[in-house]
Amino acid sequence: MALYINGIGCISPQHTFDNSVFLPEVKEYTTNRLACVDADYSKFFDAGSLRRMGRLMKYGTAAGMIALRDAGIDVPGAISTGTALGLPEVSQKFLRSLIEVDETIVSPTTFIQSTHNTVSSNIALLCKCFSHNNTFSHKGFSFESALTDAQLLALENTDNILVGAYDEVSDYKYAAMKKTNELRHEPCSNLDIYGAQNHGIIAGEGAAFFVLSKQKNENTYGSFIGNKAFYKPENKEEIRNHILSFLKENNSSLEEIDVVPAGISGAKEVDEMRIELNKNLFSAQTILAYKHLCGEYMTSSAFAFWLASKILKSQQIPDAVILENRNRLPKNILLYNSHKHNHSLMLFKAC
Amino acid sequence: MKLNEVIFIAGKGVISAIGNNVAENFASLVNLQTGVSKITILPTRYAETLPAAEVKLTNEELAQLYNFSSNEPRTALLSLIAAKEAVADANIPDFKKWRTGFISANTVGAMDKTETIFKCYIEDSNTDKLVEEDPYDAGYITELVANQLGIKDHITTISTACSSSANAMAYGARLIKSNQLDIVVAGGCDAMSRFTLNGFNSLMILDNMPCTPYDENRKGLNLGEGAGYVVLVSERVAATLVKKPTTVLSGYANANDAFHQTASSPEGKGNFMAMQSALEMSGLTTKDIDYINLHGTGTPNNDLSEGIAVQRIFGEVPKVSSTKPYTGHTLGACAGIEAVYSILSIENGIIFPNLRFQTKMKELDFTPVTELLENVEVNHAMSNSFGFGGNCSSVIFSKAN
Repeated sequence: MALYINGIGCISPQHTFDNSVFLPEVKEYTTNRLACVDADYSKFFDAGSLRRMGRLMKYGTAAGMIALRDAGIDVPGAISTGTALGLPEVSQKFLRSLIEVDETIVSPTTFIQSTHNTVSSNIALLCKCFSHNNTFSHKGFSFESALTDAQLLALENTDNILVGAYDEVSDYKYAAMKKTNELRHEPCSNLDIYGAQNHGIIAGEGAAFFVLSKQKNENTYGSFIGNKAFYKPENKEEIRNHILSFLKENNSSLEEIDVVPAGISGAKEVDEMRIELNKNLFSAQTILAYKHLCGEYMTSSAFAFWLASKILKSQQIPDAVILENRNRLPKNILLYNSHKHNHSLMLFKAC
Repeated sequence: MKLNEVIFIAGKGVISAIGNNVAENFASLVNLQTGVSKITILPTRYAETLPAAEVKLTNEELAQLYNFSSNEPRTALLSLIAAKEAVADANIPDFKKWRTGFISANTVGAMDKTETIFKCYIEDSNTDKLVEEDPYDAGYITELVANQLGIKDHITTISTACSSSANAMAYGARLIKSNQLDIVVAGGCDAMSRFTLNGFNSLMILDNMPCTPYDENRKGLNLGEGAGYVVLVSERVAATLVKKPTTVLSGYANANDAFHQTASSPEGKGNFMAMQSALEMSGLTTKDIDYINLHGTGTPNNDLSEGIAVQRIFGEVPKVSSTKPYTGHTLGACAGIEAVYSILSIENGIIFPNLRFQTKMKELDFTPVTELLENVEVNHAMSNSFGFGGNCSSVIFSKAN
């Protein structure tokens, strides 16, 4: 079911939390770990809560509140979120404390915030939303499942659904990523992530939320038509079939698609596969990149959803995201994201 | 969306402290055999002082049940055993030809593995042991088991604390009603970990004796571990089954208490809304419900809020019990395990007692069932699951016509 994107909120390693501008300047990083640019959280929480809240809890909740305010909605009809890793920094803080004191005395503060549904329920708590509240934690399908949940809710007569995703890079996970050699060697710049000889991903994080509604209004960014997640495709042919059948199921076609934000990540095998696909399948479309802005993480498709929303509304594509320009007006956008075995497609239309 | 599509339960599977499969669990339930005892498997300083309901097999022994690698997280081993039992029980002809999903729940992923690696990381932040950590998250458990089950069409993981597996069943049913899938294996799993044991202990909601839900003198919960799954199928699939389904999933609802991060509102607002919405969906009235499998953790807060909400919605409260005195609180697995128990109740006309109950709570007008009730007509059973973050879910199972 097609839904209107009536509000957005995004906190990322770029300046994205202010909805009145669109990537005014692109932040360059010379490390392989990107961290969110913080908003002024005192606009959202009192000083006492701010002291107790972990970093992700702050930027995750704030992103949700920005989207609600943007849509002019006090209480959403439901909340559905995705987070691949939950709240790793506070969880690991708790784990560290219990190991260090050999399970003797630990404070519950970090444990309380460690459940994966903390952000989703914190938003419910702040806006007194007593309705459906869900959290999916499934790698690169976390945000995708929340979107499917939102579409089902719309079919079940719920409106103004707040949907979003959030993840963070914790020190521990970053240390683990360094060990597996997935990361780009430093020194490196996020701005020349593509086509560089220096392969590898840049670790990223962020939170992005959206209000999906059945009615269009003056703040509408565009339409979210549908999404599809597919697991472990065996080869390029299977990927191609998924893309074509997804478009057909949504009464669209390749010819209609103007812009393809593609989840090129900097990882050699992923990029090689993507470049070939872009050449063979998306030869007439403008191809965009986004993982150099937000970094690679399992819910980065939510950042790309934000990018698509901004493009649809402004009808402009910032130079910083264009990989291959085919000079098409951005009316129909097909997002293709992937993280290891988790692949996903999302379709958008301008209003 | 075919909202009136009947969702049949074609199979079920369970592993808990009271048994490694459905038959063993059933035998323990009717023989009033608790699984709560001293901790013998989890390495913890609380082994002697905090009772819990562990599955009484080591990882090596669990792995042998299905010839699986004992090196995998304990949560995955538990999940695989129960999910395989559910699929085998459903015995669906041409399983491969249908669109099938695996919707699983867990709360802390592969925490047993992370705890070990993290200890090395504290000693040396550049330890080679970190290589092992990379894939461990909630979704890892689900994908591992999905691969073993040969399910690929729709895979996801829900993590809404203690209501997780109720939401997994609901999401599965909705995917069938919207004609995206024909079959969904849905439920959840969680293994004991020092992380959760110390977390609940820091909140001072663990009982240092076997728990006594709904008792005036209850002191807290005992943690447990396990996994429980049901196989949900569409009407079309149900028509092909050799063994006719006994039960349907007739209602489900997800509401939020929006009161406090870890505590329930005194009037049980979220609990009330979840039960009411599930009833509405099922088209049943409170009089139709023959049995409620309560969330009944044994904490002063949960049982009071849930009890008040039950009283408020039902007026005349039906037969109720918490089965957590048998299994402990299995967190992300509890709604899956208790779904299997609720279905067993319907199939066998039996209501399992709330073990160890002695004194009525002064705030409530009702008491739970304290003895095994046999030859009871159970046409409709409700099962409640409430969690941190105010997540409240209720599901209703009904006898299939």
